[in-house]
Parts: sequence; structure tokens; C-alpha cells
Amino acid sequence: MIWLGGGLVASAAEPDKIEYNRDIRPILSDNCFACHGPDSASRKADLRIDQRDAAIEMAAISPGDPDASEMIRRILSEDESERMPPVETKKKLTEAQKQLLVRWIRDGAEYQPHWSLIPPTRPELPKVGNAWWVRNPIDAFVAARLEAAGLNAAPEADRRTLARRLSLDLTGLPPTPEMVEEFVNDSAPDAYERLVDKLLASPHWGEHRARYWLDASRYADTHGIHIDNYREMWSYRDWVIKKFNENMPFDTFTIENLAGDLLPNATLDQQIGSGFNRCNITTSEGGAIDEEYAVLYTRDRTETTSQVWMGLTAGCAVCHDHKFDPLSQREFYEMAAFFNNTTQKPMDGNVKDTPPVVTVPMDADRPRWNDVGKQIPNAKKLLDERRQNARPEFNTWLATAKPSDVAVEIPTSDLELYVPLDDGGATVRYELKGQKADAALPSTVEWRDGKLGGKAAYLNQGAILEVPAAGDFDSNQGFSYAAWVKLPANDGAGAVLARMNEDDNFRGWDLWVEGRRIGGHLVNSWPANALKVVTRDQLPADQWVHVAVAYDGKSKAAGFQVYVNGQLQPTNVLADTLSGTTKTTVPFKVGQRHKSSPLSGASVQDVRVYARRLADGEIASLAKSALTAVIAAAPDKRTEADLNALYDWWLATVDEAYKSLSQTHDSLVRAQADVQARSTIAHVMQEKDEAALAFVLNRGEYDQRRDQVAPSTPKMLPPFPGDAPRNRLGFAKWLLRPEHPLTARVTVNRLWSEVFGTGLVKSAGDFGVTGELPSDPALLDWLAVDFRESGWDVKRLMKLIVTSAAYRQSAVVTKDKLEKDQENRLLSRGPRYRMDAEMVRDYALASSGLLSEKIGGPSVKPYQPPGVWEAVAMIGSNTRDYKQDSGEALYRRSMYTFWKRSAPPASMDVFNAPNREHCVVVRERTNTPLQALVTLNDPQFVEAARRLAESSLKATADVTGRMNFLAERLLARRLRPNEVAIVQASLEKFQKHYAASEEDAKKLVDVGDSNVEATAPPADLAAWTMVANQLMNLDEVLNK
Amino acid sequence: MNAFEQFRLNVTRRHFLGTGSHLLGTAALASLVGNGLAQRASAGINPAARLHFAPRAKHVIYLHMVGGPSQMDLFDYKPVMKDWFDKDLPESVRMGQRLTTMTSGQARFPIAPSMYKFEQVGQSGMWISELLPWLKKTADDLVFIRSMHTEAINHEPAITLMQTGNQVTGRPCLGAWSSYGLGTLNNNLPTFVVMVARSTNTEQVQAISARLWSSGFLSGEHAAVSFRTAGDPILFINDPPGVPRDIRRASLDGVSALNELNYQQIGDPQTHTRIQQYELAYRMQASVPELTDIASEPDSTYKLYGDAAKEPGTFANTALLARRMVERGVRFVQIYHNNWDTHSNVAGRLPDQCRDVDQPCYGLIQDLKQRGMLDDTLVIWGGEFGRTIYSQGGLSAQNYGRDHHPRCFTMWMAGGGFKGGAVLGETDDFSYNIVKDPVHIRDFHATVLSQLGFDHERFTFKHQGLDQKLTGVFPARILSEVLA
Repeated sequence: MIWLGGGLVASAAEPDKIEYNRDIRPILSDNCFACHGPDSASRKADLRIDQRDAAIEMAAISPGDPDASEMIRRILSEDESERMPPVETKKKLTEAQKQLLVRWIRDGAEYQPHWSLIPPTRPELPKVGNAWWVRNPIDAFVAARLEAAGLNAAPEADRRTLARRLSLDLTGLPPTPEMVEEFVNDSAPDAYERLVDKLLASPHWGEHRARYWLDASRYADTHGIHIDNYREMWSYRDWVIKKFNENMPFDTFTIENLAGDLLPNATLDQQIGSGFNRCNITTSEGGAIDEEYAVLYTRDRTETTSQVWMGLTAGCAVCHDHKFDPLSQREFYEMAAFFNNTTQKPMDGNVKDTPPVVTVPMDADRPRWNDVGKQIPNAKKLLDERRQNARPEFNTWLATAKPSDVAVEIPTSDLELYVPLDDGGATVRYELKGQKADAALPSTVEWRDGKLGGKAAYLNQGAILEVPAAGDFDSNQGFSYAAWVKLPANDGAGAVLARMNEDDNFRGWDLWVEGRRIGGHLVNSWPANALKVVTRDQLPADQWVHVAVAYDGKSKAAGFQVYVNGQLQPTNVLADTLSGTTKTTVPFKVGQRHKSSPLSGASVQDVRVYARRLADGEIASLAKSALTAVIAAAPDKRTEADLNALYDWWLATVDEAYKSLSQTHDSLVRAQADVQARSTIAHVMQEKDEAALAFVLNRGEYDQRRDQVAPSTPKMLPPFPGDAPRNRLGFAKWLLRPEHPLTARVTVNRLWSEVFGTGLVKSAGDFGVTGELPSDPALLDWLAVDFRESGWDVKRLMKLIVTSAAYRQSAVVTKDKLEKDQENRLLSRGPRYRMDAEMVRDYALASSGLLSEKIGGPSVKPYQPPGVWEAVAMIGSNTRDYKQDSGEALYRRSMYTFWKRSAPPASMDVFNAPNREHCVVVRERTNTPLQALVTLNDPQFVEAARRLAESSLKATADVTGRMNFLAERLLARRLRPNEVAIVQASLEKFQKHYAASEEDAKKLVDVGDSNVEATAPPADLAAWTMVANQLMNLDEVLNK
Repeated sequence: MNAFEQFRLNVTRRHFLGTGSHLLGTAALASLVGNGLAQRASAGINPAARLHFAPRAKHVIYLHMVGGPSQMDLFDYKPVMKDWFDKDLPESVRMGQRLTTMTSGQARFPIAPSMYKFEQVGQSGMWISELLPWLKKTADDLVFIRSMHTEAINHEPAITLMQTGNQVTGRPCLGAWSSYGLGTLNNNLPTFVVMVARSTNTEQVQAISARLWSSGFLSGEHAAVSFRTAGDPILFINDPPGVPRDIRRASLDGVSALNELNYQQIGDPQTHTRIQQYELAYRMQASVPELTDIASEPDSTYKLYGDAAKEPGTFANTALLARRMVERGVRFVQIYHNNWDTHSNVAGRLPDQCRDVDQPCYGLIQDLKQRGMLDDTLVIWGGEFGRTIYSQGGLSAQNYGRDHHPRCFTMWMAGGGFKGGAVLGETDDFSYNIVKDPVHIRDFHATVLSQLGFDHERFTFKHQGLDQKLTGVFPARILSEVLA
């Protein structure tokens, strides 16, 4: 199987002059460095031969004298026990490799730094024979290499092919027939350039470039790990599209991605850019340990940044020194320190807006948003001042206050159910609508010390009380419920109160605890039609707290408030889709839902259920019911904490001045909330106040900290500027320094690969020793320097590439080219390869006229067979049930498809779309039967075929005319006579079948949500739908 | 162009050009281009090129119980615990080992003895809980490992470790490695299939994810094809409504003819690959319905697996399908059954869980045995970790909950060269620490690979310059004492 070897540039064939990087390093790297390389931990015999001085010192190499070089003696040795590489490594040097090493040492054993670590300089353009072919500097390099290989460039492709190729490369969409015709008929000398400019100016340019960037930045719409809930991230996607369309210079783009938040007076836009580092996967799995995930997130950010900007596989140094590249484990953690200083909590909370986030108001709301934002601090200040100053008045009030002053404030009207749970008796006493009653005490309950004196019910896996007639509320009526609770220090979940029927999709309501956060559900049918709100902050463990929920009867989360100790709490809205009834026939229970979710290890007391929404003050009073005891106590027995609590209550319920200030403040906060409700958000980076640091972690284990390290960059790269801040901003600027050898090279290489399918360095994510050598190092360097000196101008670079003669070649493969340039690394022909997943789908939508032109906005859920999400997702995940959108949302560009990480878009997954868990800079490109099934049978494609068929039927009655109508949209050309004959034969079979079976015809044309236009008989439409489906599946359509 | 040359040109190239002299086995290469080409491609070449030694198993059916089954309520019998009811777990047993944050704040760790009766069965005298009456009957076909252990204490990292050998995502799973090494036995079916069974009780279903059956850094062809329990078994395997087979045939004939014209003009070898992939897709459209047509099974089948096997999506149904797949040459079938995460309400849940899987496991083993397939089919049963002897939340004589426990858990295997009726490993009286023959996940992986014919040390794939392997960098051992 030798035929598989033979790289293009790393050939072991006898070269004229030996070059270390080209000829020697690959041999040493493959065979020797694992034990005699950069990794100190696995180094054998204390010998490293990746460094010349070290190898000479240890006498492994004696320059000019192979016979005196121990390395040569060992690799040539006949004795198995001393021959290198050792037998047990299963590595073996070929005779040619051995001779190369001998020659290299005889010639002086000259080393070179790894090619990618030498800063690029602009090379001279090579002199070429076929100067007439050269359109721009790229071609000089390409022509020189083709000539050296004895290959001719391919002729220029025809204009239709070029129009299609350009449109796909610059916008990701096929050209319209009009665009193609205009170009074909444009005889002006600059026709090609004008087409390029037109496409570069298209708003779809930004979408297409952003699509690649989203792979690199691992963008998705869910958190990724465990519950995999929704993450509201799309403002970052919009930002990337916008910046590409504005042609933001790549250096600015780099800075805003990596450190937009750290720029002085960062604008909202700049902050959104910093979302790059918020796209990583996160968890909130119950039981997970914070530090373990904090370490993983930092690692991911370090690896992603290294790979995207520097082509470094830094992750290899997480556990040990890099085996091949001069990157030590310590250096990895020094680099990681830049990314290890975020205020973000490791647990994402399963919410869509894990802090730090900023609000991104709609454009029209921005003035009001800014205005309210300025007023609130002032209102808050006035409130605080009143709180500071009113203490004497409070003391005056307190001097004469009686317990009844507080007690009478406890609301009694509409008190539906009252369960004191305070007497430790043999039964459970309660009052239902004023009627006293008793119930048997279940065995799962015991009496323990209470909050309000006396005893409280301690729960042990089961209900305390069941009252069939209580809490029978519907979603259109306001109600409130409250209790004192003491929760254990665990992350369990359960219902404090509930009237909920699990067997009817959880219909009903509850007062719910999960992870010591309190809130509730109002459910018609979980989770599609339900409301769920829980507090953002955890309740304290093993302490009595008063919890209350007040609901206004409007079926919206905005009208569902949670209070702890009488204070309104910031909450997370986990579901807000309620409509319809929440009534259920199962009984109300204290301590669990009807059948499940028992609260365990918690104490409960003073349960109250009201058939109306209590006012804030009333809830505060309930929470202060314990304060009667404070007032009753002798002044010298009152603790500071009790008095403060009483003061809070007095301010909120008695003090008119405070109440009025509070009203002003609250109305501003509500106004702000109104704007916020219409806004989206951006996940941003935010630094802690202290200096960044990290720890070297033994084997990468979070709990095995070794040395503490400060942020720094690896020694193999240019020094970090002394005057730059040691933070992400300084790091980003360091990446962009002219002497940095990697950033410009890696970036032009990635953009090149977006056009030619493969980078000049094939391993676009690995420019290290184990990565591939560039197919044309001089061209890469020329492009890198030119790109940097142009001011990192992306459109200019792309224009240069697509206006080259190399790009404009026909893709025809000849026998000669297949032999000498099988992979087209020499560019002996134009690029041709299967389009990426998104392009395949967008192509079908665009060519059939279904594609929505809308740019940006929240993600959409187009057709997807049922069960793809449901099969893997947790019950309770808000991305468990795939609810397909309708209308325009079915036909948006694929980059807007909702990306659930644990179940990526099914049809795109088949075409090698990544799952977006980690950074991807090179997509795989396979050719499989499952792909055929998608483009043949997926309703999205069948519907597109039908729509295209409809248009062709409307356009003309001529059969060949119809075929060409399809071909112009799918192939950007007309069919040739031999193709017409094949399509004709298929058409006749289709027509015969559908003429005979109108039922089949109707079934086929009925696929998809869009209306069938009644202009053609179903049999005709079905037959032509099959023709369109056939053409859509051609290799020529699926390939660029 | 001969078949070999054509194959060379057709295969997606990056998989092996990137690997230099480190070549994939022929069988592995064959599966890269899909089954249709495999036969032709491997003509004249030893299909076992990658195998390091003669395989004992050619197929694997891996039944993963998502959430972590409670070992001391099912297999790890601890009669002494009766006297420890509601007493605190001694610190000398816990020894400061880390706990999940679900219980690390608990004031007490009260011991919850299993409420279930155990019985000693079979030659090995293995103790099995009353919750698994069917499994008892086939105990002599099983190898129990009571001393499995892992480092991970939460589901995501634990299940990822169990499937891919690493807690951090992004590596190939066991099934993908198997597909890579073994290649295909059937041109018209996938090599590696995953099915997610529905649990009857859904009180505490855990997350799983497509990443668990991904191919990681191996080629995408080695990822599992998901056999869905509702709708099309394979995504879009059925033609659109109103398109009968002969019309599809006519349409594909046209596609092929037009592609051939395009090939004559452009000469891109990938065009020929595409033609073949479309033909393969067409054949899969016939072989998949044949595979899933369980109506052809006799009554005796349902006597073995139980009537639930008739109902799509049940565990019994997937077990039956697994047998039909293996029969037709599928190499690796991965089944997930959920809801074993009994943090609370063991009494209300565990019996349901066992009812779902007990008889079907028995049925599968017997069925394979009767057909002479158990010898070369390895059946694996287990979760991602075990559970704690102490109760999470409240404890009563009638009910308790158990938190995650990584220090020990039980798995069983059958067939595939394992020695039926053997038991490996012991834990302490608290089923908390292992006292004899610890088995790490990498030991388990190494042993499975060895049964398939691979030396885990040499079964590698070059990625980021390193020879990556399923078992990672720490040494792993083959569990030879439980191999026949």
C-alpha cells in the first residue's frame, strides 16, 4: 500500500540540497521526538535531538562527521538491542531516510526553526515562462510550480461556470439566471471584475463568510452539556455577519472578538464581539463541581484561540509538555491565564442568559433604554438615602408599637387555605375557606423545631396533607401562595405545594424547589404550553426563609413574581408559553405533586394560599409574621438582625416617604423591564477586578494544582510587549504584531481554503511540527505579508484570490493531472468539490425561489423529522421538543437553523456539519449513501423540487424549454442534447406513472408547507417535480 | 481502471494521506467508502489486515443503562447492611472521597440497606436481586464484574468516559473504534448502529447526546447511524409519498446516466463515487425495511423477549432488532435505556426499570444462543457509575434515594468469548470501596478490543501527531480470568 504515501513536498526522495524543515525534521519528528524531543517528562536518556546544541553536547550528532555521531551509529546498528528507533516502538527508518540523515550530518547538520515560527517576509515573485497567463502575483507562484512539475494550467472556465463558482464562493448562493446571462453577454474588459465587486457588495457575502467563522467560534444555540437548554446567542451571529459586510479589518475583528469588552469605553457592538469567548459549551448538571468546569472552559478558550489565530494544537500541552512543538505545559497554563479571569460562573444555570450578559435593545428602543438606565441609579440613591435617614422615625414608632400593629397587617381576605403546621399534634390542622378541619398525620412526617415558635413539619419523602378542594385555580385568575421553609443543603428538586397531575402532562401548578432555587410552574401541557419561573439566586441551606409566589392571572412570566423574605427576587424564566387552562382534578398537596417529586429533608410551616394576587406589602407582611415576636420581646432581647428585619418591613409598609420613592424607582425598573422584554441579549466577557492567574495542573486535573503562573505567551513566539496590558486585549494586540509569524499566515490560509477547498497548509488548524508543510510556502508568505500590509483587508484578499488566473481555470481533470496533481495542491485546475451542508440546502431553496432573503435574527426550526431531539434530550430540557416553525422560517438560510449541540440539525449533520462543541477550522468532506437519502427524500428538498417544477410549468409549455428552465437555475446553463434525451426518457416514465395514479401525484405534490398552485394538473406537476428532484441530485449541482 | 485503482481514487483522501505510512486496515478503508464498494475494494486483499490476533467476537451489542443502576439493589449483595439501617456511613469507609454537590452538603449520610431479597444462582453462586427474575435463569451465561470503577462522578463526564475512554468530549466511541477496525460485513446496512429505547418510567431521565456515538477524530463514516424508534428508522430512508420504487429506480437511472456524462466531461473521480453511493442508498432502502419487519418473527420470539418487543421503541423491541441486525452483519449495536438515576424513590422506580430490561436481556441471550450466535457476539450490560449505600434525602424502611457513586459498580457480559458463570471483583460491606480485583473502564475497553482481535496498545490512530488509542495513556489490563 505504498501508493498511499508520497506527500507533495515532504518527499524522501534524494533532494539536491538538504533542508532541515523539508527533509529532516519530518523523519525525526515521526521517529525520534516522542522520546528525544520537547516533552521533558517522556524524554529518554536525557537526550533531546530537536535542538542542535543539546544533540551535539550529548554527542548524538557530530556535525560533518556521521561516523562520530552516536545517532547515526544507533540507527545503522545491526544489533536490535541498541538500534534506534527501538523495536518495541514499531517504528522503522527506511534505507533512504537513513542515508538522508547521514548526508545531513556530513553537510554540517544544519537545523532550522520550524518554518511557521519564522516571521514571513514578502518573497520575490518567481520568474515564469508562461508570463502571459499570470493575472496577479498569485499566478506567478502557481505557474512556477506547475512548470516545475511539468504541468500546464487548465484553460479558463466558461463564463457560466465562472459566474456560478464566483457566486457560490462569495455569497454561498447560486447565481440567478439573469446574473449569469448578464455576465455572459457583457463584452466589456472588466466584466469579470465588476461581477466580483457586485458579489462582494452583496449582503449575502457577510452571511457566507460568517458561516465559516461560526465553525471556528463554535457558535450554537444551546449550552451543550447535560440539560442542553437554549442559549440566546444569536446577537453574536448577527454581529459577525455585519462585520464581514462592513469589511471590518481583520485586526480590529480580532481585537473585538478576543477583547471587545476591554476596549476603553467599549460600545455595545464591541461588547457583543467579545461573545466569541462565550460560545464554548457549558453545563449546569446537578452535582457538578464548579472548579472542574471552570478549568475546562478556560482550556477550551485557550485551545480555540490558539487554533483559530495561530494554528497551534495547544491542547496537547494540557497534561504534559507538547510532544512535538516547543510548547511546555507551563507555557500552556501561562497562556490560559489570559482567559482565566472571567466573572462568569461555571454553572450556566440552564438559563438562556447566563451572566455576564448585556441587553441589546431594538434600535428604536435605544434612546429610552439609555434614558431609563441613567435615571434608575438616581432613584435608587434616593431610596437608599431615605433608608439611611429614617431610622429615628422608626425608633419613635417602635417605642410604642404593639405586636398587633404587625399582626393585623397579615392579609385575611381571600385566604383560601391556611395550614399552620406548628403544634406537633397527632393530626394536621388546617382551615379551608375559614372552615377548620383535621387530617391524619402521615408516617413520612415528623415534628421538628419551627420558625414561628412551636413545631414544624419535617418531610421525609412524601406529602403532609391532601386537600381536594384547595387551590383549584385556573390560569386566568390571580392567586398567591406562601410558606416558611427550611431546605437541606443539597441540589434536589421537589414540590412544596402543588395541585398538579403528572399523568396529564403535568397540568396544574406548584411551588417548586430545584437546586435550592424557589419558584413555580403553571402548566397546561409540559413543556410546550407552560410557564416556569425560579429565582436566580439560591436560598440559604438549613435556615428558615419565607417564600411566596404571586400571580396576576395573565398567563405570562412577567406577571409571576417570587418573593423571599418579603423581597421581590430576580428570577430566571425557564418557560413562558402558557395559554389555556391549568385546571386539574387531582387534589392539592403539601410536600409533593400528586404522585411524584416529594420534597425530602425539608421543614415547612405556615402554609397560606390566597385566591387573589396579594400586594407586595401584604407579602412583606406575611414574611414578617415572625416579627410579632420581635415586638413582643423586651427591647434588650431584640437582636440587631431582628431589628433590621423589622425596619425593612416598616419602610415598605408604614413609611409613606419610602413608599413613594419606592414607587418611582419601581416604575422606572418596570419601564426598563418592558424594553428588555422586547430586546435580545449578548453574552459578553467581563474581567474580575484582580489580576489574572492560573495554575499548572498536574495531568490537567483540576484538583491537582501545581505552580501558580501569570499570563504570558510562549517563548517560541515573539516576546509579549512590555507596555501591553497582561490581559486579553494585550494578547490580541500581540497576535497582530508584524513580527508575529502565525496570525496572518493562518488567516490567509483559512480564507484560501474557503475557496479552494484545501488550505495551502492542508492542516489549517495545525501549523506545528506535526501539521503539514505548506504546498507553496512562498505563496503563503506573500499572501500573509500582503494581507497584513493591506490593513488586514478581507475583501481585498478575497478579490485577489478570485481574480487570479489560477482560480479561473476550468476544473477538468486530465489523466496527467490526476497522476501528478491528484489532490490539486499544485492548482493545475479550478476548484471543484462537494459543497458544505448549509450550501447544499441553501442551493435547493435559492434555485427554487423559496429562499427567504431576510438576514439575521433569532434561529429558526425548519423541517426535521420528529424524534431527533426527543430521543436524546432530558425531560425538562427546554430544547427537548422540536417544534417546527412555519412560513418564512422554513426557508431561511441554513446558518439560521437552530443548532442544538446534543442533536445537531439532522440533515446537515449527514453532510459533515460539525456539532459545534469544539472549534472546527477544517470540515470533513465525505461522500455517503445517507447524503443521497437527504437530497432525494428530505421534504425540504422535495418541496423545493416541486416549487421549481411549478415555476417551469408556468414559464413555458415547451418540454425542452422547461428542462432548460430547471437547468439554468440548478446548473447555470442549458442542457446538452444528450442530456435532454436522458431527462426526456425519465420524464416519460414519470408522466406515465402519475397519469395512471393521480393519488400518487397528489401525495407527492402535497409534500411541504407551501401551497400548491392549482395552475397545473397534479400528474404534470408530480412528473416535473421528479425531474427537478433528479436534476437537484446531480453531482454537478452538489459540487461547487 | 481496475477496481483497486478506482477505489484508491474514490476514497475521500484526507483520512489516510494525513496518516503517512500509518495505514488503516483494508477493512477500515472499505467502510470509509461505504459498504457497496467494500467487496470490490477488498477483493484479493486480506480483510483482516488490521486485526492483531484471531477475534473471539465479531459483533457487540452494548446495552447501556443511562443514569447508573444501583449495584447494591441488583447485584452487589450486602446482607450486613441490615444492621446499619439509618446509621451514619463511617468516615473510615468514605475516607474523604469527593461527593457530588447533590449530597456533599448533607448533614448525615444514613445507610440505606437494600430492601430487596437476593438469591444465589448458577454455578458461580452469584447473588441476584428479586428484581431480575429472568436474568437469574441465564446467570450461567453471564460474567459479572462487581468491581468496575471510574473517576467521574457526574453523568456527562462519566458516560463520555464510558463510551469514549475520556471524560472530555470529542473522542471516538467504542463502537466507532470497532467500525474503524473491523469494517463492514454487509454492503447494505450500516456498520455501527445506535438505538435509544424508551423507558416506561420517566421520573429521572438523564441527558444523552449524539456525541456519545460520534466518530471523534476518526472519519465520519465510523459514527453510529441512529436507528430511530419513530418514523423512518434511518433518516429519509423512505421515498417521499407518491414515489413508488420503480419511479425512484427510473429517477436514479437518469441521475447515474447524467452523472456519467458529467464525468466524461470533467473527469472527477468523486463523480463515480457519488454514482455508487446513490446505488448503495437505493439498496439500503430495501434492506432496512426487511431488517425492521419484525412481523415475520414467530411467536416463540415473543415468548423469549416478551410481548413488549412488538411495540416500537421499547427496550425489548430494540433488543430484538439488535439480534436481527447482528444476524445481518451489523458489527456494533449500541442501545441506551434511560431513567436509572435513582436519586430518590428507588422503591417507586427501580422495579419499573428492571421490568423494562429483565426479560429482554434474558431473551436476547437465549435467542443468540439458540441461533449459535452467542459465541461470536458479545453482549454488554452496565451504566456509567454506581450508587451510594447512603441515602440521598430522606430514608425510610420503604424507600430511599441514592446518589452517584464512582468507586464501584457492577456490569455483566455474555458471549463473545467471555466465560459464562464467572464473577470478578469484590467490594467492602458498604459496596463503597473495592477490596479485590478492581477493573477500570480502560481495562474493560482493552478486554472488549482484545475479544474483537485488537491489541489495545497497538490499535491506534494518528491525531495531532500522537498515536491515539481508546484506552488512553495509563496501562490497561486484559481481564483474562473471565475469558473462556
